[in-house]
Amino acid sequence: MMTGLAIGLLLGVTVWWLIVQRLRDKPWTVHGVISGSQDGLTSSAPKVGLYVFLGMVASLFMIFASAYVMRMGHGHGELQEWHAVNEPALLWLNTAVLILASFVMQIAYHRAGRNEVEGTKRYFSAAGILTVLFLLGQVLAWRQLRAGGHYDHTNPAFSFFVLLTTVHGLHLVGGLVVLTRTAARLWHGLEKASVVQVAAVRQSVQLCTTYWHFLLLVWLGLFALLWST
Amino acid sequence: MAYVAIADRDRHLHDPDTFITRYVWSQDHKVIAIQYGSVAIGAGLVALVLSLLMRLQIGFPETFSFITPYNYYQFVTMHGMIMVIYLLTALFLGGFGNYLIPLMCGARDMVFPYMNMLSFWVYLLSVIILMASFFVPGGPTGAGWTLYPPQAVLQGSPGTDWGIVLMLLSLVTFIVAFTMGGLNYVTTVLQARCKGMTLMRLPLSVWGIFVATILGLLAFPALLVAGIMMTLDRVVGTSFFMPALLSMGEASDTQGGSPVLFQHLFWFFGHPEVYIVALPAFGIVSDLLSTHARKNIFGYRMMVWAIVAIGALSFVVWAHHMYVSGMNPYFGFFFATTTLIIAVPTAIKVYNWVLTLWRGDIHFNLPMLWATGFIFTFIHGGLTGLFLGNVTVDLPLSDTYFVVGHFHMVMGVSPVMVLFGAIYHWFPKVTGKMANEVLGKIHFWMTFLGTYAIYLPMHYLGILGMPRRYYAYGQTDFISESAHDVNAGITIAAIFVATAQLIFLVNVVYSLLKGKTADPNPWRATTLEWQTPDTPPVHGNWGPKLPVVYRWAYDYSVPGADQDFIPQNHPTKPGEASVG
Repeated sequence: MMTGLAIGLLLGVTVWWLIVQRLRDKPWTVHGVISGSQDGLTSSAPKVGLYVFLGMVASLFMIFASAYVMRMGHGHGELQEWHAVNEPALLWLNTAVLILASFVMQIAYHRAGRNEVEGTKRYFSAAGILTVLFLLGQVLAWRQLRAGGHYDHTNPAFSFFVLLTTVHGLHLVGGLVVLTRTAARLWHGLEKASVVQVAAVRQSVQLCTTYWHFLLLVWLGLFALLWST
Repeated sequence: MAYVAIADRDRHLHDPDTFITRYVWSQDHKVIAIQYGSVAIGAGLVALVLSLLMRLQIGFPETFSFITPYNYYQFVTMHGMIMVIYLLTALFLGGFGNYLIPLMCGARDMVFPYMNMLSFWVYLLSVIILMASFFVPGGPTGAGWTLYPPQAVLQGSPGTDWGIVLMLLSLVTFIVAFTMGGLNYVTTVLQARCKGMTLMRLPLSVWGIFVATILGLLAFPALLVAGIMMTLDRVVGTSFFMPALLSMGEASDTQGGSPVLFQHLFWFFGHPEVYIVALPAFGIVSDLLSTHARKNIFGYRMMVWAIVAIGALSFVVWAHHMYVSGMNPYFGFFFATTTLIIAVPTAIKVYNWVLTLWRGDIHFNLPMLWATGFIFTFIHGGLTGLFLGNVTVDLPLSDTYFVVGHFHMVMGVSPVMVLFGAIYHWFPKVTGKMANEVLGKIHFWMTFLGTYAIYLPMHYLGILGMPRRYYAYGQTDFISESAHDVNAGITIAAIFVATAQLIFLVNVVYSLLKGKTADPNPWRATTLEWQTPDTPPVHGNWGPKLPVVYRWAYDYSVPGADQDFIPQNHPTKPGEASVG
């Protein structure tokens, strides 16, 4: 039900957007070139592409979350096989690291906006390193849980814990791949680059920033869900 | 919003320079479309053969010793999955979506051509993984296309060694491919339309594909989640879906898993999937009817809104597939209501198609035959849906041949009718040759009448209570001798229809080799893809300048116009009502 509502929200946004897009026009009465309409491929296409992708990722995590809640309800039945995971305190530290990564990424974005190449490089790479730290922290958290000896794959709560953190982590790894590619462009050849190429690198930094903020939000949601149950 | 155009900037558009980059690792949306289409049709032929094997067994039990119950379930499963996902979804979105979106929007290519190319190759990989399951120990999975646990992963079902793992892996791979393609389709429609092409001037084909892609992007994650969790249940031994049970006399390690949770996840994807297939068909058939009836589409705005409304509603009807699953019985009331509500926008579309034909100048050429055929099959399939949408009517009919008849009519035959119509309609643009009319007409009539001979009797078998998915019925009191005769008849009709598809393949080859050279705009259509400077369109589609759009896509038989159609890029005449 929760997922239904959430997907409904996404669809609602789509419908609202469609209304804004003059869907009430009567196209058969209007001829000529409508002023303000776009003219060929726009420069904001990559940004729109990313937003569409984030919509899909949002759907993925919402469905995971509702599967979690439904399975948990089932696990508290007669068998009582759902044993809540006692999340290690390390997760708070990891969360702080990821928040910091997002914050540093935002600074890199501002530096890129002001064409400060050195500053962009510094903060952009710092964000990448912090993200790697977060991922290592997550792996450490699993190991702590395993080492406690209380959890294995027969406990669905633990299975979900590993699954959800892995899926979130894989999305960050994907982000890191893009980040590395962008960093390569930042480090090599920006001196000889044309205005268009510099703008493309700036846009890449901007897209990375959006993606990092989004994955931070996803993690905060997951963390709240895992911690509260 | 201020838009910055970069399309006609002086830069190379991933221009192909070798045979490999032109035809194999091609980033051109038209080549990718043909690649997608060919692989999808190839996979569909495999599924067609599987359906024949199934029908041979049901029509003539105890005749074919090589069809064991084990094989039979594998045929059922693979037939369903291939047809729904690897043929219909891939052909409508990967094939027609790829070909039509940039051309109809007036773009040079998709927004992310490299990702578009990857999309096809990953799709091909998913097909290869799926087909590989025919050759592994134990063969493909025989769990039914819905892959319900626990039987999908329990010893005793066919293909639990490798088959189910390969199936899940292939689905996950397909979803990755779809995501890369889907991002392209949505972003291209939003961000690469030519000057003057507002959303409300888009042909309905683009609208259908666009909304279907959004549905896919939101719904496929549910299948992904279900697929990942089931893979873990199968490989690692987790208990997401697997309950505590006795299997072959031994207690399983799993406990407490919820098979109904899988059903919820599966159908949360599965029902939108019906519309992922249907909406592009709705859009394309609207364009075919309007073009070949030489009349503007009736109620364009309502058609667009109906597509959007059906798309939105398709997310709140999923549990109507689960009335007998053991879910909370009160859910049935809610889902029956939403299911019947979705009939309203669907009915609006059907009325508008019929009203488009009303007093039109109907040309019964090949695309039009298939398009009108679709109206018939879709109405039949849709009406039986009203029966099954009601809980009390569904309970006795559930798991009978009535259901098989219903869903084949509504989401098998109907979209296929549109697919063939679309193939014959755009064949001249894609290949530069006209398809052979006589062979096409034989193909149509054999398919149209043949499918009725297959699926109409199935409704009677279902009302009789004949259960689906049975390998053999034996001598059962409630199944009369005549029902067995009907089954034999259905099988003969199925062979008849399958033969007709060979005629189609012959037609494609024959027309490619010997067909009449096509006029750039043989149907005298208004939409942009018919206005390209070259036929077939070359790389970059539009020559030096992008087209400019002055009107909507349906200016047919406009009073006072010189011809009975005015192309979208035809400038406004003095005196025409205009803006800007």
